[in-house]
Amino acid sequence: MTAILEAQGLSRHFGPVKAVDDVSFRIDEVGIHGLLGRNGAGKSTLMNLLTGQDFATAGSARVRGESPVENPRAIGEVALIKESQVYPEGYKGRHVLKAASWIFPHWDDDFASRLVEDFHAPLDRYMKKLSRGQRSSIGAIVALASRAEVTLLDEPYAGLDAVARQLFYDRLLSDFAEHPRTVLMSTHLIDEAADLFQRVLVIDDGRLVIDEDADALRGTALRIVGPVDAVEAVVRGHQILHREALGGTAAITIDGANGELRAAAVAAGLELAPVSLQQLIVRRTGAPFTQEVAS
Amino acid sequence: MTVYTETQPAPASGPTAAPVVHRMRAVLRIHIANPWQTLILPWIITLLIFGGNAAIWGMITYSAGGSDNVETSAFQSNGGITWIYVYMLIVAVQAMHFTFRFALGFSVTRRDYYAGTLLYFITLAAYYTVGLTALVLLERATDGWWLGGSFFAPLGLTTAPVASVAYTSFAAMLLAFGVGAASAAVWVRWGAPGLYWMFGILTVVGIVALWGATVLEAWPTVWEFLSTTSVVALVSWTLPVTALAALAGYVLLRRSPVRS
Repeated sequence: MTAILEAQGLSRHFGPVKAVDDVSFRIDEVGIHGLLGRNGAGKSTLMNLLTGQDFATAGSARVRGESPVENPRAIGEVALIKESQVYPEGYKGRHVLKAASWIFPHWDDDFASRLVEDFHAPLDRYMKKLSRGQRSSIGAIVALASRAEVTLLDEPYAGLDAVARQLFYDRLLSDFAEHPRTVLMSTHLIDEAADLFQRVLVIDDGRLVIDEDADALRGTALRIVGPVDAVEAVVRGHQILHREALGGTAAITIDGANGELRAAAVAAGLELAPVSLQQLIVRRTGAPFTQEVAS
Repeated sequence: MTVYTETQPAPASGPTAAPVVHRMRAVLRIHIANPWQTLILPWIITLLIFGGNAAIWGMITYSAGGSDNVETSAFQSNGGITWIYVYMLIVAVQAMHFTFRFALGFSVTRRDYYAGTLLYFITLAAYYTVGLTALVLLERATDGWWLGGSFFAPLGLTTAPVASVAYTSFAAMLLAFGVGAASAAVWVRWGAPGLYWMFGILTVVGIVALWGATVLEAWPTVWEFLSTTSVVALVSWTLPVTALAALAGYVLLRRSPVRS
């Protein structure tokens, strides 16, 4: 079967900087997936490579089996909505929506009009005069109403307030139910969007560090809290993601927790706590390994 | 257009693409979505410049005591209209600077983008040629706006056939767009340093050419060529230059990444 999106040994180097480094994955499922990572981790570069906007230094990107570079068949059904989108001089919101309607084959004008009302998007003001949030709302409308078979969203709602973000999630989910498609979304607000994701890709320092089913991923990490000695005894031999200590109490986050560990922890009278996707990713991609809190 | 041969059947729900004409038209429409700066403003500025010139002609004629006291060719060596060609060069650079990243962000290929952009430039050239030619006809019908002036077909074109004037205008527009497209492609590809290098190299080439002509004592031949060749023939010499510039623009653009 041909993957909807695929990368094989995909790399993009800028001089000594390895923005994307030997990334391989494939997405076969229609669904909403997350591309997560810190600032500068390579998310935007990866999305640019997947849409042929940038050229790979090595490896290949494939959209439905074809190279996206200069290939209208591969990218004709792809929409990349990015926060950093540049709008032509003299463009107002309505020009952007019109341009989108000319280009995206499945554009839905009625849906776009409803979204304009929902988001209170200003259509008659110059794009460059809009606030970040207002610009994002125009981008979000394009992302949803374009109904592209493959929709890549790069920080689609930077600057949007909580109400508008929730609106975006709601509209995305309800429209997705009616028009299933493949959405790959990058975001900093991991926990907020976590429930949307079917698959999670995490990129760190240009390298793909996590590529897992979101539910499975959520089950892999466990936080065990209790007296230091008891906790240490239980977690011995397991991969420790994070360690906190306060006086005689320790809270240790374990990666790859299994039933055996859970049973042992429960038997030892320790407290088990779930680890959110955001915490898990923060732990795996960057926070200092141990954080001792002075007693 | 996507053509499937018998040995390569069309997949039921595989990749498809809108016909190239459709994609080019979309790019064209992106360019003219807001027509103010490229389709309307230039006419306003042109008419203002023309108005200023006509006012001066009128003043001179008045103080000279009527058209009969002014030399026939007094108001025919006017370069005012050349501004529009320079402006079109800037329009070309600006248009590509602003729309390249936007269009590619909307999943347009560089090839379709460039084809649509050239279509836009040719359309603009035709649009301005038609407008300027109409004004030349009006200028001639009114005997130079009743002042013997020649603003829209100045210098060597004052008495040239209307078709020659239109041809000159169209070719000059295309040259402006061609050079503009090539410069814009350099800008899109390498940013400001690219343009510094380009103009640096062009300056050196120009100086070498001038030196060459001087050392080879070729100036008399050059002047003779310029003075004996008709405007129309001279204009035709710009066409290969335009084509070359347009081609260079594509060669540069097809490997340009979208920089954020």
